[in-house]
Amino acid sequence: MAKSTLHATSALNGFHQTWDGVELSEVTNKALVSIAVPLKGEAQFQTAMKKAFEADVPETGASSFSKDKSKQFLGLQKDQLFAVFDREDDYPTSVISEALSDKGYYTDQSDSWVVLRLQGIKCRKALERICPLNLHQDVFAINEVARTTMEHLAAIIVRDDKDSFILMSPRSSAHSFLHAIETSVKNIS
Amino acid sequence: MSQINRIGKGLINTDRNIRFSFNGKEFKGYEGDTLASALLANDQKLIGRSFKYHRPRGILTAGSEEPNALVTLRKGAHAEPNTRATTVELFSGLEASSQNHRGSLKYDLMAINDLMSPFLSAGFYYKTFMWPKAFWEKLYEPIIRASAGLGKLSMEADPDVYDKGFLHCDLLVIGAGSAGLTAALTAARSGAQVILADEDFMLGGRLNSETYELDGTHGSEWAKATIAELTAMDNVRVMSRTTVYGAYDHGVFGALERCTDHLASSDGKPRQILWRIYSKRSILTAGSTERPIAFGNNDRPGIMLAGAVRTYANRYGVTAGQKISVFTNNDDGWRTAHDLISMGANVVAMIDSRSNAAIAKEMINKLTGTNVILGGQVCDTSGRHTLKSIKTTNGQTIETNCLAVSGGWSPNVHLTCHQRGRPTWREDIAGFVPGSDLPPGMSVAGSANGTMTLHAGMAEAHSVAKNLVKDMGFKPSAHKLPKAEDEPREIAAFWHVRDSKGRAWLDFQNDVTVKDVKLSHQEGFRSVEHLKRYTTLGMATDQGKTANVPALSVMAECTGKSIEDTGTTIFRPPYTPVPIGALAGRARGQDFRPVRHTPSHKWAEEQGAVFVETGMWLRAQWFPREGETHWRESVDREVLQTRKSVGICDVTTLGKIDVQGSDAAAFLNKVYGNGFALLAVGKTRYGIMLREDGIAMDDGTTARMSENHFVMTTTTANAVAVFRHMEFCRQCLWPNMDVNLISATEQWAQYAVAGPNSRALLQKIVDPEFDISNEAFPFMGCGEITVCGGTPARLFRISFSGELAYEIAVPTRYGDGLIREMMKAGEEFDVTPYGTEALGVMRIEKGHAAGNELSGQTTARDLGLGRMISKKKDCIGNIMSERELLNLDDGLALVGFVPVDKSKSLKAGAHFITKGDQATLTNDQGWMTSVCYSPNLEHSIGLGFIKQGSERMGEIVIASDQLTGQTQDVEIVSPHFIDPEGERLRG
Repeated sequence: MAKSTLHATSALNGFHQTWDGVELSEVTNKALVSIAVPLKGEAQFQTAMKKAFEADVPETGASSFSKDKSKQFLGLQKDQLFAVFDREDDYPTSVISEALSDKGYYTDQSDSWVVLRLQGIKCRKALERICPLNLHQDVFAINEVARTTMEHLAAIIVRDDKDSFILMSPRSSAHSFLHAIETSVKNIS
Repeated sequence: MSQINRIGKGLINTDRNIRFSFNGKEFKGYEGDTLASALLANDQKLIGRSFKYHRPRGILTAGSEEPNALVTLRKGAHAEPNTRATTVELFSGLEASSQNHRGSLKYDLMAINDLMSPFLSAGFYYKTFMWPKAFWEKLYEPIIRASAGLGKLSMEADPDVYDKGFLHCDLLVIGAGSAGLTAALTAARSGAQVILADEDFMLGGRLNSETYELDGTHGSEWAKATIAELTAMDNVRVMSRTTVYGAYDHGVFGALERCTDHLASSDGKPRQILWRIYSKRSILTAGSTERPIAFGNNDRPGIMLAGAVRTYANRYGVTAGQKISVFTNNDDGWRTAHDLISMGANVVAMIDSRSNAAIAKEMINKLTGTNVILGGQVCDTSGRHTLKSIKTTNGQTIETNCLAVSGGWSPNVHLTCHQRGRPTWREDIAGFVPGSDLPPGMSVAGSANGTMTLHAGMAEAHSVAKNLVKDMGFKPSAHKLPKAEDEPREIAAFWHVRDSKGRAWLDFQNDVTVKDVKLSHQEGFRSVEHLKRYTTLGMATDQGKTANVPALSVMAECTGKSIEDTGTTIFRPPYTPVPIGALAGRARGQDFRPVRHTPSHKWAEEQGAVFVETGMWLRAQWFPREGETHWRESVDREVLQTRKSVGICDVTTLGKIDVQGSDAAAFLNKVYGNGFALLAVGKTRYGIMLREDGIAMDDGTTARMSENHFVMTTTTANAVAVFRHMEFCRQCLWPNMDVNLISATEQWAQYAVAGPNSRALLQKIVDPEFDISNEAFPFMGCGEITVCGGTPARLFRISFSGELAYEIAVPTRYGDGLIREMMKAGEEFDVTPYGTEALGVMRIEKGHAAGNELSGQTTARDLGLGRMISKKKDCIGNIMSERELLNLDDGLALVGFVPVDKSKSLKAGAHFITKGDQATLTNDQGWMTSVCYSPNLEHSIGLGFIKQGSERMGEIVIASDQLTGQTQDVEIVSPHFIDPEGERLRG
């Protein structure tokens, strides 16, 4: 009979460090749920999103928010988006499935990704060294999202503020990902 | 030595002295000097020895085209050979040394090669040293390599740090001379994102080398002000010390930024950065390169290009000699004489190969005291270590210690040719200009485009930039060009002096002469590409920037064709040398590639696990215990303990794919060879996947979690390949199926819990409301459960070891916690963690196929799984698996092997031969795929494929290891060494 509870650990033990003009920290409290839209179910899904969250279905590369701003939806590819919201328990898919019922297919991705926030006036300079995308403020607007690779690792990048980016990469290689970003920051500082 | 040749301030900072050394001798220079300008200021003309003949060589140019003045910078591991003194920015403490000599630079023993030059003509090594054959590698080649060449590597690891990066712009301007600055300014003022890159540390190009006036101010002042304006603009990135070295597809350019080469130390920061620049449009404003005229002994130190002599005077305040002569075939040479005289230098002779040069009438009065020879040529020179005199074709011998030569200017078209563009010949400038097939998005302006004069070049750059920004949707700003002159640029092509008796050098870096080119033609090498390979013309660090066009002219003469018809060799990246360290960037040592950690990695480290790389994953290979001195002891113990009681292995690395959709079952039915449509919810099934050609691709288990939700596992190695394959099927083959895939490999920490006590252990972990008894949760069952008081988990009753076994998965953040809890819960059962070695032993004992057997060469039939490929349904590879040659009566079959002499070990990779036959390819019966020592059977066992294996049980065959030459008798047995009936896993 089970007596003890399991202790949760984040990928990078809540890493946080600041340099001149750059701050890098692990985001540990977010739930990520992948939502796939059923074939020919786009219209119903759109209606469900409107009804449940008063949110649009984002185009690929864009994001939308629930009316209360508690949930952000990232358009990752055709008919697939990620819902990002504060994690309250171990069943984040139920938060989405209860709202959207059978209008989508849901997969918990909260533990699949290490999530880092890189911010500060020099954050773009650091990202220039590893991110092949054009992150100029006029090109990659706030709340836009993109899938890319950084140092051979798959990555998702979201601009969440003027000089702030959320970076996601597979959790198993979190230390390599962190090392790549740290190296970039050190090389520009 | 004082700086006796310093005659002015130029654009350098004479308030800041810099001490440096060359060949151990201390010198002084100033901030803003290059190593070359500082050496010239100190009258150090002898800089190096030539590649083949060890001829004394000095400085020829003032830029990156330099073929002669190659030095080794710094010392020890930081040493960098073959650095062009003409581009090295002087810094305090700089240490440079000359290259390619035995003994001192002045008295090089290998200069004997020069005396032997009649025997060392072009391609001599193709004709000599032919016998005895064995001597080539052992004797001749080592001697040739030791006596010829450039600098030497330190043979130590490069201690410097390098980085790479990505940049984006609307317009990339390559070259920051007058045209580049004009183009950048035009585009920047319109609001476009502009990158302006130039290889020099002082931007401005020839504006810094000339006495041009722009809007009444000195050209260099205009450049300075323009750069200041550009630098202050948010939409402009000005990159000095940056060479755009390659033009690649889709507007992508490679650029090398030298960040700390001008500093004594990098201080741990990247020395150089390799940039990938993504541009929407580009303008090549890379200027042009002056070329020499070939005449007898035209390679002595002190013989330089006229434009370079002018640069040293105007930019660095240095005269290249005390008695200077000029030899030219164009108006530009006169400018050198004029500027030098204006600065008070002594120009003793002005020789123009043209007898009726219009410029002469205008200039001749300004050259009082100068011996002006029109229609004359220099045919020979004297002076061993420095130039002493020149001889002209009219019989004069003129004492001089610097000869400034101008054979005209060649537009720097290189980047326009990186995508196979062919330049075209322009007779009026006697040079190649960019052809019509430029890289997409590229335009060319200024002298790089053959527009050789100042005002015309700037006007062209302005116009091109305006059109480009307009084309990209920007509104060009209305600003006027500065007032500038169009300097005289007349030229009459003249390439080499026929009356010369001495060797006339074309390619200084590779010691190629006019005679070599003629010899090449005489011996049948008619293509320029052949000429290049035969003579080595245009190779090495300078890639023939000063040599190619004069050499082509000689070849054209030989063939009787025009230079245009003769054509050029193909220009390829890089434009100038890029260090291997910069290409490697950060990807060195442990940073070569990312590392993936399993959820139990930290815990495994604490246990002293020995790790192995499996792809990018680091997996625990075994867990040594105190007293164990050999890996086999640990592995044997882990196997025995697991089979006796219980063991735990982290199997997170197996690929996990979440398959959802109303057509998910039908989709899997098509992807897998065996059926999945009727798999019940709560059940798991082993599946085998075929490639389109019918060969086995991967295997694994798939669990049906709900009606429309499956969880597939793949092998670790094929996780990505299988996912990609399935996405291809979903998106391209069957786009009308409602199915969605997402990788869940990283989401779940998964552990195999195996052994007779596995259930008992898990019962201590799994929350009580979930019944995992044999009846409630039988073999191949699966379900969503909770563990440790509510943590969500998935449980699968599957077995790779052949024991009663489960795989339990929790969200990855609980992975570390779960392994610790299970090990604690298992203490009463003497639980052991086991690694990949024990995992491998147990699967061989059980006869389960793995990567060694699923090698991409074997079929389901070979694996003994032929009947799994359902003929009642269609699936990928089904039809092709029925090919005749894949279904021969004597086809391969996976069976077990044991050594006849049980004390001996089996060898993986050994091939099977029927007893009595020779070990030849014809007699090959199959091969051993996997072997291990079975601690349960206490001898070596193996799996392998052999023809008609299942019908040959008990037969003794020979296992022949062709690598070691060892053979041994082995017996064919069942592949199921342990529990062949499968009672344990169902227990």
